Amino acid sequence: MTSIEVHSLHKVFQTKRKAAGLGASTRALFKPEYSEVEAVRKLSFQMESGELLGFIGPNGAGKSTTIKILTGILHPTDGDAKVLGYVPWKERQKLAFHIGTVFGQRPQLWYHLPAIDTFTLFGKIYELDDREIKKRIDFLTEAFEIRDLLETPVRKLSLGQRMRCEVAASLLHRPKLILLDEPSIGLDVVAKQHIRDAIRRMNQEEGVGVLLTSHDAGDLEALCKRVIIINHGQIVYEDKVSNLKRKHLTSKLVEVRYAQEVPANFHLNGVEILKVGRYGVKLRFDTNQTPVDKVMAHLSSVGDLVDITISDPPLEEVIAKIYREAAK
Amino acid sequence: MQKYLAIIKMQVINNIAYPGDFLGRSISIGIFLFIFAGLWGTTFRIAGTDSINGLTFANMMWYLMMAETIELGRPRTNRIISEQVKNGEVAYILNKPYNFLLYHFSFGLGDSLLRVGMNIVVGLLVAWLLAGPPPSLLGWGMALVTLVGAWILHFCMMALIGLAAFLVEETNSFELIYQKFVFVLGGMLLPLDMFPEWLQGVARALPFPYMMYTPARLFVKPDVELFWQMLGIQWLWVAALVFLLAIAYRGSEKVLTVNGG
Repeated sequence: MTSIEVHSLHKVFQTKRKAAGLGASTRALFKPEYSEVEAVRKLSFQMESGELLGFIGPNGAGKSTTIKILTGILHPTDGDAKVLGYVPWKERQKLAFHIGTVFGQRPQLWYHLPAIDTFTLFGKIYELDDREIKKRIDFLTEAFEIRDLLETPVRKLSLGQRMRCEVAASLLHRPKLILLDEPSIGLDVVAKQHIRDAIRRMNQEEGVGVLLTSHDAGDLEALCKRVIIINHGQIVYEDKVSNLKRKHLTSKLVEVRYAQEVPANFHLNGVEILKVGRYGVKLRFDTNQTPVDKVMAHLSSVGDLVDITISDPPLEEVIAKIYREAAK
Repeated sequence: MQKYLAIIKMQVINNIAYPGDFLGRSISIGIFLFIFAGLWGTTFRIAGTDSINGLTFANMMWYLMMAETIELGRPRTNRIISEQVKNGEVAYILNKPYNFLLYHFSFGLGDSLLRVGMNIVVGLLVAWLLAGPPPSLLGWGMALVTLVGAWILHFCMMALIGLAAFLVEETNSFELIYQKFVFVLGGMLLPLDMFPEWLQGVARALPFPYMMYTPARLFVKPDVELFWQMLGIQWLWVAALVFLLAIAYRGSEKVLTVNGG
């Protein structure tokens, strides 16, 4: 079953333009000039229920705008969209009962009160009865490991702790779909891991669909099965994350350490030498052009190997490459 | 309905999260009353009279106590909406299953309940000290009944100004203009009885007196006939402004652009 269907979605914003200085400001008062920004351009995609879909793109790519249209907060300029069978901007309140949202850069928990108060309030807003609210809070506090944080005023929580509470709050009413807009922004590695684990668990146990926007490739790698990469409001890439890796993660980084000194004229055809040290070499090659066994055979012929590390380049580089290719 | 009660309750709790700040704010009505007592005491002394246009010094002080209670306790909905539009938090408010305006109504009510309550307590003590015993129970009754309509009128005006934030983001200047209308034509600084006839006529044709003058005047000089008359006009204004607000909301919803999109 499809949970999101988007067809030719288009959103144009009008922004005021004004040159620097007093003169320009005065002129702008009487004759304001506007320029149009196409935040989303003829976007079409689908998302299945229970899917983990990554929506990746650089700043200003149109990710948040799309999410805001899909939750019914923004009206599109043109195009159609259905989320769980509802047209978001026409049936926003009905849709609200079935979706959860987290905007990573903005708090929805009441800042001066403990998270438990907001949880209870949300329970009432989503029309759950008291017993159900309590049961749900118990479950979520366990899943997100936030039992000890519930009674601390939100303003005293660390960002990571707060975000766990924020995501948990968005799941209180058992939504079928959650839209997470940059949930890991500003978090440290451990906090990111915590959030990702909890989201994955909710997806597996409750079948919640997750549409996640991020510019952190780590979120994508850890969570999503499929990815849509957008830039300038358009889809530039759409595929399974595993295919993305297979097709684009073809270059390998190799670091080798030898028992003897490395010859100064170390060289190998089809391999880019990044660094030659006294006892070690760092190189990069493309597996499509240079077979792995050829490289390995050469490396072991040079001397006695003490240590070897082979790694993929960070996914971020791959995505950056896709942006660059799309720009061309 | 339950959800709106929950929002009111939440905002009451929110207000007492910082008891020091809450108590500090409650004291301001006492300070204002001290200043007014000095001003009006001098005015009555210089005029060499016990009553000006039918109002004694004690009437003035209790009038101002009620007017200040309303002014200091009225909702600040426009500031909240502006803030939410500017920082993008409005996205969370809009995608919950409740009516946006009723959410703000409940939020504002939760905010006002405690403030009005505390202002009445502190105002009562200070005004009693400065001007002798408070008005009759009938006065209290009429003031409290008309306070409801006055609060709703304030809410409608603040929410209308707040919705302008969907277009212009910053609405402080509109609030200042509005406040000045309430100060003068609403009878906040001076009871309308002190105005020349023509200005009283102008004021009465506008909604402002029913936000401020009505409860304060009935409080110090309860009058059954005047009560029903003012209550009727007050609720006509409530109906008109609620209608206007509903239309304005429908229109503004579409132009909203959430910051940081």
